[in-house]
Amino acid sequence: MNQTELFHIAENWFQQQGWKPFSFQKQTWKAFLGGKHGLLNAPTGSGKTYALWFPIILNHIKKHPDYRTKHKKGLKAIWITPLRALSQEIKQSAERVAEDLGTQMTVGIRTGDTSTKERARQRTSMPDLLITTPESLQLLLASKGYDKVFQDCSAIVVDEWHELLGTKRGVQMELGLSRLKTVCRELRIWGISATIGNLDQAREVLLGPNSQAFENSILVQAKLNKKITVKSIIPEKMETFPWRGHLGLHLLEEVVPIINNSKTTLLFTNTRSQCEIWFQKILEKHPEYAGEIAMHHGSVNKETRIWVEQAIRNESLKAVVCTSSLDLGVDFAPVETVVQIGGPKGVARFLQRAGRSGHRPGKESIIYFLPTHAMELIEASALQMAVKENAVEDRLPFLNSYDVLIQYLTTLAVSDGFYPEEIFSEIQQTFCYQGITEDIWQWLLNFLVMGSQSLKTYDEYKKVEVEADGKFKVNNRAIAMRHRFQIGTIVGDASVAVRYQKGGYIGSIEEYFISKLNAGDVFTFAGRNLEFIRIKGMQAHVKNSTKHTNKVPSWMGGRLSFSAQMSELLRNEMYTAGLETKKQSDEIKALLPMFNKQREESIVPKPDEFLIETFKTRDGHHHIFYPFEGRGVHEAMSSLLSYRISLLSPITCSLAFNDYGFEMLSDKPIDIQAVIDNNLFSTDYMLSDLQKSLNSNEMARRKFRDIAVISGMVFTGYPEKGIKMKHLQSSSQLLFDVFRDFEPDNLMFQQAFTETFEHQLEEGRLRLALERIAQQEIVWKPCKNPTPFSFPIITDRLREKLSNEKLADRIKRMTKILTR
Amino acid sequence: MSLSTQIYGEEFQFHSLGGIFWVRKSLLLISDVHLGKVAHFRKFGAAVPRKAVHKNYVVLDEIVDYFKPFQICFLGDLFHSSLNKEWELFENWVAKTPAEIILVAGNHDIISPHKFENLGIPIFEELLLGNFLLTHHPKEREGYFNFCGHIHPAVRLQGFGRQRLKLPCFFKTDSQMILPAFGEFTGTHVLQPKKEDEVFVIVENEVVKV
Repeated sequence: MNQTELFHIAENWFQQQGWKPFSFQKQTWKAFLGGKHGLLNAPTGSGKTYALWFPIILNHIKKHPDYRTKHKKGLKAIWITPLRALSQEIKQSAERVAEDLGTQMTVGIRTGDTSTKERARQRTSMPDLLITTPESLQLLLASKGYDKVFQDCSAIVVDEWHELLGTKRGVQMELGLSRLKTVCRELRIWGISATIGNLDQAREVLLGPNSQAFENSILVQAKLNKKITVKSIIPEKMETFPWRGHLGLHLLEEVVPIINNSKTTLLFTNTRSQCEIWFQKILEKHPEYAGEIAMHHGSVNKETRIWVEQAIRNESLKAVVCTSSLDLGVDFAPVETVVQIGGPKGVARFLQRAGRSGHRPGKESIIYFLPTHAMELIEASALQMAVKENAVEDRLPFLNSYDVLIQYLTTLAVSDGFYPEEIFSEIQQTFCYQGITEDIWQWLLNFLVMGSQSLKTYDEYKKVEVEADGKFKVNNRAIAMRHRFQIGTIVGDASVAVRYQKGGYIGSIEEYFISKLNAGDVFTFAGRNLEFIRIKGMQAHVKNSTKHTNKVPSWMGGRLSFSAQMSELLRNEMYTAGLETKKQSDEIKALLPMFNKQREESIVPKPDEFLIETFKTRDGHHHIFYPFEGRGVHEAMSSLLSYRISLLSPITCSLAFNDYGFEMLSDKPIDIQAVIDNNLFSTDYMLSDLQKSLNSNEMARRKFRDIAVISGMVFTGYPEKGIKMKHLQSSSQLLFDVFRDFEPDNLMFQQAFTETFEHQLEEGRLRLALERIAQQEIVWKPCKNPTPFSFPIITDRLREKLSNEKLADRIKRMTKILTR
Repeated sequence: MSLSTQIYGEEFQFHSLGGIFWVRKSLLLISDVHLGKVAHFRKFGAAVPRKAVHKNYVVLDEIVDYFKPFQICFLGDLFHSSLNKEWELFENWVAKTPAEIILVAGNHDIISPHKFENLGIPIFEELLLGNFLLTHHPKEREGYFNFCGHIHPAVRLQGFGRQRLKLPCFFKTDSQMILPAFGEFTGTHVLQPKKEDEVFVIVENEVVKV
């Protein structure tokens, strides 16, 4: 069958549905059938699924003209999705096409949710099309004879690639692909990504730089001109609007008319606890919504989530309070309006959420922005600019993640074993390890086999063995089993399943929250008030309660930082505070009372001013700096500055930061004049100073935690199985100290520092920020009271610590012994 | 100089490595060394730095050298796990250490008592010495003062400017002294002192009463 005939089949199908294929869909079909690899840039709900399922199936038809009558079993294509919640929806689309076109292709799902029985069945007979997650793909590579399973696989599609890029799951995917390129005889690799700043790089990472696949690839962009309107919810009385906070409940009543005026509204919150609280409060204030609103977040059990998603589709819900769990995938036509509660911290994410509404072509998307505190109104105004300019951020891919590589090599050793020469040439072609040297490779192999760089007689280290023919293999079943349980790169706190005593599963909560509860305590979870009974194994038993409570589980989750572009837009918005009113946005106009308050003791900085405020409270001496550069840069700058200050005189302080500025809180005042006189914002020796400052605080420690788990040095147990491995568990904190004292040159230990630099501290941006500050006039305002600008920072409880004082000296000043 | 405390008229000296010395009896009390933990982890495929194995013996030597005790009593959890090759290092250490060694068994001590007895180390469930009761798990007994381990105690300190610190400590109530874990590669558990409790924290090379 030639291409025209194949296209005809597809177009016919579209016609039967009363649709017309978009040009980006046809472009993708053509490229795929022409043997190309590629990246498809298309937003959720645009029909991207059909853009790639069709050519996969058409290609099968092309190669098997007798496809209607004859069918050879076996895996033919893989669809990777970052969220297992999305797999059902994708399966339905795929099955529909496969069936309507008269093929006999089967579609299966394999994720962490798949039953053991189903998995065993798949082992003997794989579905033709497999939908799976990056972790489950690695698990397949960890099973014996995987090369036979994959050999006839002709396509792999990595959906939502932008979500994986810039994470270690992305690296895991790169490694998986590098293996599949060899194992599959004829493989096409495709990615699907929402709009990000570095789309070309995204394609390079997916396919491998300088690889044949990259040479023979294409970027297809869906040009769907969609109008997005951002509306800020501005409080009527600015005077009573809070200076800090993150819940936004003050504006709850403003949301009610929005919900009433639209068919279905999605309310996006930033955290799961915020989601729980909003859901409770709406029902409390407006009981008439009972049964018409629902909640959706990652810790709610799967059945409930699927039910909610279904209910959105058949229009039986007025509103859903949700988190990023509804960011991706699933297409909800009935959603008319989206409300973002609190700053979304990223333009791409904001656009994606806006795109959840008004799905029908040509319809405009409306998104309301609800600020949770006064400063966020500046953010609201900046976001509107960002949407107008489409100022989307980059996703920075990881380089040299040796922890993921160690895990991957162990995975290969667990299944069929590997020969180093073969694998080395494969991984050299990935983006992440393009710079790997022979020396480092040898180091990693030594580490796998000996757990160190030399052999000692009394050492009983056991993991990977080298067989007579040079094959690296794990032969110990217990080690293999432990490794399979550990596969993955998302390291979280251990989570505990929450169940009714009779066994009904409600969801999962991080262990540290449960550990603070006593029997009889009542907490809110999954929209219910639950009484905690006991903890048993890795399960918390609860029963329903009628008592009211303020206890809401909090989930740690990462805090996101503003991109460079967004920070600049934010600064520019703030600078308009000094302009005449007619040149200001509504948001800035509304902020006048706060600006006036700010000006009582301090200033609202102008473009050429850099503001420092100092004041004393019950908590200590506050020193606040306002670079307006985003969290990541502030984290780095505060670390650098406090290190430099400590060189002038020993100091102990705790650091807090948000997207506007950072704080150094100390028990003694810091001499700001000395900071200015000594030019401590200089870019000279920036790198080495930053490096030294890291040794005295805890950022690298936290990075090491993930590295230790991913590389298999810390065993986390089998949380869901309830099997305890107490004698093998140690905290990564202890391990960090042991490495620092005994093996500081270990690559895994070093990686903690490199990652802190490149991913957390954004070294490059820090330099630019310091250069900008050098051009500004430093304005130091000693104040009597906290200013409105400082409020959100000084009330932040998540802090870094830094000290270069002698411990014994500090103890003498610390007398109070703390509860808890 | 080291900090000391009086209990039932006897003097006990603290050491910043985590031991207590009963002066009159020349008896050194040490708890929760967890020997063999590093080797155990390595045997099960966790690449904890191998050099860390020796650190425990270095600090043991240091404290023995400081007090030159007549007897050393380990208050349990001397070995972390089942027998591994680190036992040989322990044998060497016992052979060259000029003190009598006693073990009060802890929950981790699963190595056969015969192995210890062969080295001349007697094992007890608990030990009564005058008014003093030596155990691994904390015990309350009328008329006795209890020395024990098991908990790996630490306390949290707080100061002005939201400063917080967690430090391992000797934790003393009116009838009990819980020793900190002596071992290198061991964690801690934070305790909340009551008014009448005394806490001696280990700060770098000093023991400080708070």
